[in-house]
Amino acid sequence: MKKYVEDLNFQGEEYVSEWTPWSPQDIRRKKCVLEAARLMVDSAMTAPCAGGVPSIEAHIVYGQEELEAIARKVEEIAHTQESWKEPFLYEAVMVRDSDVIIFLGNTRCHETPLDAGCGMCGGTLDCGYFYEKKTTKYGLVDITDRSSKRMINGPLCTVRVGDLGYAVGSALWTAATLMVDARPFASLGMAGQKMGYCPKSGMVVGVPVAAKAKNPYVDVNVDYHLINMDKALDNTRKIYQTARIIRGFDYRKWIPKPQKPDGPKTDGPKTDGEDK
Amino acid sequence: MGHLMGKEYCLDHLIEVAKSIVLAIHKAPQITGKTKIEAEIIWGEDLEPIIEVMGPVANVMRYVKWDYETIKCCHEKGESPVIIAIGAKISSSNLNWNCGACGFDTCREFNAYAKENRGGGHLGGPSCNWKTLDWAMACDWACASAGQHRVDNRIMGSLGFALNALGFMPDMDAKLSLALGPPRDMVYFSREEMHKSMSYEMDKQDMVNCVPTMFTAFPGGGTPMYKTKDDWWAPPEFMGIGYSEAVMEVYQKVLFEQVPEIVVKHADKIAERYRKG
Repeated sequence: MKKYVEDLNFQGEEYVSEWTPWSPQDIRRKKCVLEAARLMVDSAMTAPCAGGVPSIEAHIVYGQEELEAIARKVEEIAHTQESWKEPFLYEAVMVRDSDVIIFLGNTRCHETPLDAGCGMCGGTLDCGYFYEKKTTKYGLVDITDRSSKRMINGPLCTVRVGDLGYAVGSALWTAATLMVDARPFASLGMAGQKMGYCPKSGMVVGVPVAAKAKNPYVDVNVDYHLINMDKALDNTRKIYQTARIIRGFDYRKWIPKPQKPDGPKTDGPKTDGEDK
Repeated sequence: MGHLMGKEYCLDHLIEVAKSIVLAIHKAPQITGKTKIEAEIIWGEDLEPIIEVMGPVANVMRYVKWDYETIKCCHEKGESPVIIAIGAKISSSNLNWNCGACGFDTCREFNAYAKENRGGGHLGGPSCNWKTLDWAMACDWACASAGQHRVDNRIMGSLGFALNALGFMPDMDAKLSLALGPPRDMVYFSREEMHKSMSYEMDKQDMVNCVPTMFTAFPGGGTPMYKTKDDWWAPPEFMGIGYSEAVMEVYQKVLFEQVPEIVVKHADKIAERYRKG
């Protein structure tokens, strides 16, 4: 067995800053968020649940390409439903502005319900509402047909969905305790589920996490998908360069100076060509 | 200056802690931002109708029995738990998301179905799943808040059933309740109050009933024996499967006779509290 060798080389420095994005100092910051996200998942896993039955799975996702792919999926879903369009497009921006994404799903809500006859799914005195709408044999749900016209293939066991809520709640409680920013999103959950994250789950919630000066998930402006920090920065790159070339001078020979109020004109525009 | 002694002030303070927890319930994050949540704090004598309703259900449902006996026992000892009722309006959807999680293609179809079947289950229902998540997050924040106050607590469906039956929070259609305190460790987990309430034989029979696969012998013969005794092979026992009319009759009696009888005694007094104007 390999013996644990203690590393006593304890010295170093870590510069951390959110600017510029994806610089070493920013990636170091993101790694801190990843640690927080892992602790959030710990909390989700130990959240209360009906009957103490394990049913929560989690996926932690990070990286520029990964987040961009998720954001694009959210945008795709946004355009499938009029009521989703604006809020989901806004949330796609928030995904890009996040450091780490957590997906939390319930592996039982569609397949192995609580079977306690609580009636919360359909308002009946038994689990009949759930089972009547599923393909079943002696109470076993066949989930092998995964095709569905719906975004979520309901009905689901409401108590199990409640357990997922507990898990998300606990993850968010820990985020609040650690003072990292996080919000629960349906859009992100559905996008994640369609992309195969939390592969055994019948319902998934997405929780983006960030530790930046500005909480990415609050104080959004209208048309946030068109007007946001990424777009503003890109606009700066577009406009400022052009602003430079509509006028000019050779800074080695002459630089415009403000005119002195009373003195002679010494630095005004020259009309006689170059200095001799 | 002052000198607090004994435990009575702790019991009083539980109510203050409960108020702080209600703040957390209302601060809990939501996915939809559109789920109406209400919370109420109940303790002392006002728990008595709730305990009474749980009584007959406890006779047929073991997990309810455990909650019932614990809360009743603490209350009778003068260590009344404080319960926080957490309700939400989840039986209709104003989201228009048409996600399909409820089993219908559209929120409109769900709402039409819900209007006809509202409140038909033991714990209400039908439910919009996204609103269920919001409600569950509020319940979870209640648990987390209680945990951080270092107060023993457990979120209970049994209490939710009693609150529903008695008409607490009439505007809410899903209810659970967080039981808090009394101030000591392991009130609702491991359950000292339940000591000596079951014999070893009952405990063992429970395991045979609830975890049958643990006791199944070689299944190759097609009718596996059950290992319930030390010399389980002779004379053998077998598991029986069948409809029990007697068991179902008892369930029906509890639900449609005994619980309504108790509810009738208290419902007017409770409804009076919610009467407007």
